[in-house]
Amino acid sequence: MTAGGRLERIAVERERSYPPRVTAFTQPFWQALSEGRLQTTRCRACGRLSFPPKPICPHCWTEDVEWTPVAGRGRLYSWTRIHAGPEMFAHELPYEVGIVDLDAGLRVAVRLVLKPGQACAPDRAVRLVVLQFLDGPLLAAVLQ
Amino acid sequence: MMRRAAIIGTAAIPVGRHQCKAGDPIQVVEHEIAARLVIQAMQDAGVDKSEVNAIVCAHPRPYTKQKYFSTFMAHYLRLPCKGIVMETMGNGLTAALAFDKAVDEILLGRAEVALALAVNMEMSVESAVHMRDSVRATGDVDFHAPAGFTPISWYAMDAMRYMHEHGVTRAQIASVAVKNRRHAALNPLAQYRSPITLEQVLEQRPIVEPLGLYEVPPRGDGAACLVIASEQRARALGRPFALVRARGFFHEGAHQISEIPNDMIGFVAAQTAGRIAYEAAGIGPDDLDLVEPYAPCTIVEVLVSEALQLAPRGGGALAAQRGETSLGGRMPIATSGGFTSRGHPSYATPLYSFIELADQLRGRAGARQVADARLALASNELGNYNAALVHILEAVR
Repeated sequence: MTAGGRLERIAVERERSYPPRVTAFTQPFWQALSEGRLQTTRCRACGRLSFPPKPICPHCWTEDVEWTPVAGRGRLYSWTRIHAGPEMFAHELPYEVGIVDLDAGLRVAVRLVLKPGQACAPDRAVRLVVLQFLDGPLLAAVLQ
Repeated sequence: MMRRAAIIGTAAIPVGRHQCKAGDPIQVVEHEIAARLVIQAMQDAGVDKSEVNAIVCAHPRPYTKQKYFSTFMAHYLRLPCKGIVMETMGNGLTAALAFDKAVDEILLGRAEVALALAVNMEMSVESAVHMRDSVRATGDVDFHAPAGFTPISWYAMDAMRYMHEHGVTRAQIASVAVKNRRHAALNPLAQYRSPITLEQVLEQRPIVEPLGLYEVPPRGDGAACLVIASEQRARALGRPFALVRARGFFHEGAHQISEIPNDMIGFVAAQTAGRIAYEAAGIGPDDLDLVEPYAPCTIVEVLVSEALQLAPRGGGALAAQRGETSLGGRMPIATSGGFTSRGHPSYATPLYSFIELADQLRGRAGARQVADARLALASNELGNYNAALVHILEAVR
């Protein structure tokens, strides 16, 4: 997949356990994600990416930012399987989460979707996917 | 002469279950416990109530019904103050900030004697319900919390990465839990005091892989009070005290996780705050006699011991396994029993760490006394060690 290419969308027949809030500013992120596109903000002044997307550049403190597509390929920095979780996630236990270093130079922390019995380890190649819940999308990762 | 501050009195209740269920006919309330602790700590200090001019409280858990706790306590204890009456909040740092700000009141000359007070009551609330709120404290509520991260899941990912990078086994890291339980057996304030074996640790149910029940912090209630005085006032008492010799702080400018890939398990905030404190004290890590780290999980003790240069990079778990960080070892760490055994009433925990160091430096740690303890370090943190607050204390006898 190239930058701007589509992430695989995986339908999930329920609502998100802890849905994010959408703001006027982040709405384009969530809209694009529901279409299978990952995008974030880039500073026009210093060129650096932010994640999560921000209406300002945290590095040079300008407000001159633009949306830019990000490719969903990367490497798993680390992961865990959570067996004890908050009340709203109880019906999902156990579940996996991970930290992914994207080829674009960004580190993201997302839900990790493993196949039953699939072995997992840091430094494995991963790709981002979109979990398309009934009420909206969430970013996630699968092993390559 | 530069003003310096010292711990001259301490009191705490044993960590454990103190808070009642909401419907119980007889309730335990925080201010009754806190008031008794203040009086006990003041008796230990040997100074008069009229000398106290600052109260800095850790902000209590939301399950503490009485609000505006610090000003309520100023009334409950009839304690007018010219310095400050306030509460601190900073996730895991909360009670460490209470200590730090009470010390500041001494350093600024606003008080000759100040109280650092913390009460953490949460055992009336089930873990799954409690975590409903704590997910909001570990990352971005809209971009991380929806994935289901929990506070200790980040430490679990530290452990996965550490094992991968350094070829260390879970059992080696878990030896920290066995060591700390041996220490806790000697500490009357500890929540869990029965000895455990490595096999028992490894066979517990998984909580956040690779960590099981005995490798993560238990929940508990706790309360503690420290009496802090100017060095001059402390010396006039003619009794042993713990001088605050140096302080270091660093926030890495990242909350929970950096979107710029970094060495997450290097704990750069602890490295930096530690270096600042060592330089300010004019000492090196080898000069320390013992260390109380903020380490909710076994892996965190390993990583912070490396960040503070108490063990080589990748060698922290091995040092624990070899007994180097046990009582009687080269560098005793968590002589209190640490978070997994002494317990972790979060918003009070750092005061328990300072009490352990003060007891050691005042030569009254009983069966877990480190012989001739002279220099000790406490590190406290928030997030995944995104910020660290390090204090070096010195025995004056």
